[in-house]
Amino acid sequence: MNHRITIAVTAVAFALGVADVGAQETGAATTSAKPMSGNLTSISDVMLQNAASDPKNWIHPNGNYANTRYYPGAQITAANVGKLTPKFVFQTAVLESMETAPIVINGVMFLTTSFNHVYAIDATTGEEFWHYKHKMGPITTFCCGPNNRGVAVSGDTLYMGTLDAKLVALDAKTGKVLWEKQIADPDKGYSETMAPAVVDGKVLIGTNGGEYGIRGFVKAYDAKTGELLWTFYTIPEKSEGDWAVNDLTGRNMHRNIDAEKAAYAKDSSFYQTLGGGVWMTPAVDLKTRTVFFVAGNPSPDLYGAIRPGDNLYTNSMVAVDLDKGTYKWHSQYIAHDVWDLDAVSPVILTQAKDASGKMVDVAIHGGKTGHVYVHERGTGKLVRFSEAMIPQENMWVLPTKEGARMLPGANGGVEWSPMAINPKLRMAYAANLHQPMTYHVEESPYPGGSKLWLGGAFKVIPSEQQWGRLVAVNIDTGKVAWGAKTPQPLIGGVLATAGDLVFNGEANGWFKAFDARNGKELWKYNCGAGVNAPAVSYMVNGKQYVAVAAGGNVQIDAKRGNSVFVFALP
Amino acid sequence: MNNAILTVVGLAIAIASADARSQADAAVKDKAQTCAACHGPNGNSTDPQYPILAGQTARYIFLELRDFKAGRRHDPQMDPMAGNLTPDDMLALGDYFSKQTKAPNGFNADGGKVALGAKKSDEVLCTMCHGGGFLGQNEIPRVAGQHYTYIKKQLADFKARRRTNDAGNMTSVAGTLSDADIENLAQYLANL
Repeated sequence: MNHRITIAVTAVAFALGVADVGAQETGAATTSAKPMSGNLTSISDVMLQNAASDPKNWIHPNGNYANTRYYPGAQITAANVGKLTPKFVFQTAVLESMETAPIVINGVMFLTTSFNHVYAIDATTGEEFWHYKHKMGPITTFCCGPNNRGVAVSGDTLYMGTLDAKLVALDAKTGKVLWEKQIADPDKGYSETMAPAVVDGKVLIGTNGGEYGIRGFVKAYDAKTGELLWTFYTIPEKSEGDWAVNDLTGRNMHRNIDAEKAAYAKDSSFYQTLGGGVWMTPAVDLKTRTVFFVAGNPSPDLYGAIRPGDNLYTNSMVAVDLDKGTYKWHSQYIAHDVWDLDAVSPVILTQAKDASGKMVDVAIHGGKTGHVYVHERGTGKLVRFSEAMIPQENMWVLPTKEGARMLPGANGGVEWSPMAINPKLRMAYAANLHQPMTYHVEESPYPGGSKLWLGGAFKVIPSEQQWGRLVAVNIDTGKVAWGAKTPQPLIGGVLATAGDLVFNGEANGWFKAFDARNGKELWKYNCGAGVNAPAVSYMVNGKQYVAVAAGGNVQIDAKRGNSVFVFALP
Repeated sequence: MNNAILTVVGLAIAIASADARSQADAAVKDKAQTCAACHGPNGNSTDPQYPILAGQTARYIFLELRDFKAGRRHDPQMDPMAGNLTPDDMLALGDYFSKQTKAPNGFNADGGKVALGAKKSDEVLCTMCHGGGFLGQNEIPRVAGQHYTYIKKQLADFKARRRTNDAGNMTSVAGTLSDADIENLAQYLANL
């Protein structure tokens, strides 16, 4: 639309009092309109591919295509992190949970908030360049807060998924919409909270909706035009699988396979509503042109009788072809899950020793079960799983109407929180929850997509303490190297740096740095609201910065805030 | 087309759509008048057996009206009311009531029961679905500041399976609540 006409329409709309002001905002939404920095550069494919060795920028939500969240700069170290101080605090206009991983390009930061606002700010001062607010459609359906986990970038364009299930392309310089595509129908339970990935001119994005009876997918869109290039459904038409008796670690899941087989023979059409959301950023291996992600829980979460079979490819790591979106392999952690102990935390691509001690390419995942799983990258075969990072008890007792106690509770283990890797130290760092719960089942037919469909409930056990644990796992052995217990469950994600530091936030407002080698707490700062987002790091004019959002969290009801805190050495 | 013409066209479109909107607003206000007999002016009911609709989520109101009409939820007074509504009426009413300002419900809570209700709410993980401050989201209703009498009846109805239009979630949640739990939760929520 022409600028002048836009201004005219907007002015009239305001005059008539019909401006689209979200209830979530208070006061003016914008602090300033400083001209965009001339340092903002276009992001080439080569820059995206080499991001893992670029200490200046943070141009992938998880640092690089391998999702390692390992920052290669080492100005801030164990020796000096104690002097880290806040440089600025950027306050958004939205006081609601923040899960954003900011993108930083040559000193310009792009961050998102709940309800799909995007801000471009100066990454050294917090001055605002522009503010974009998505005009939300009339229908949104999402279960666990109006979250957003960030944008992806390629060329001069930012990409964001929205709560009304759209993919929006924005001009990075101005925040103007370049194009929008409807990904799926929000009336059927589809929504977007993940940060997409952009690779070789394709925008990769999955979907939320495992609590609403969706059919999960990953889609690839042309980054220039928004044209749909391919769709991979995480639920195949034949979803019964091999009728696995045990989970991937060999524990019996107490399934009634005969009854399930009989039910499946009668009706297998439920694949259309079987769930399998993909709501964290996929990893990409350009060498083999493969996309890796995990698919979430089957729908409904706790009532399994209505969906007999292994429920492929729910609760699985999945590999698909980058160019065609075709299936390569999958590895299922829990077949026919009735505990919502699904796979969410993004896949990390790295190397680890195989059983013979040889270093091989692997894909790893931190599970809600409390294990870190290490897979051969080419085949998906499980190389090892780690020691349990949090208590496991009574696995796999079946849910009952009255409630059956089992550990871990339904949030994990490792929830959506991205893990980080320190390849030098051979460690993966995982943010864990310990929330003792009872699992309750309730028979409930598909309600038509517009209503939450859990097939039961989870309840915490008031007499049992909840806590969190940041855990370092040696990926070559699966042994827990160290663990740092926290007073509240952890949700948000981890940053590791070449300065041998690990940064992690807590629901009580503390943002902390640990010695990556031994877990010793070296520094902390209280942000005043739940730090339930993954930190990022970058460098501007020779100074390393660490940024993290403090906006709280819906799932564990952590205190809400609206700020991004940015730290550096004096 | 030059910029001046574009500006005029833009103004015309904006004014025309504003006209259409004000007509629609008037129509929905008429329909809402019928609701006012029980639900009060602007959806702020004073009789605690009828829920406050002011500030409720639009999506929840729409889906409940749809369920009353389709027979998935029953109430002797609401069944015939919803039976006369079109889907557009339901959307418009949902939108209208969601935009009204909720008034205080005038409830005098028992402090001890409120504290017990808050504890039970944490245990049952209410806010994972009902959102921070119980303000609701999408199809999950706002229950903060709702009438005590209405909340108590709904929890009891879910438990006894008299109300079953929520895909079983609340039946499962309410299934293990005692009468005292329901009393305490209703006190806590009405007091928010």
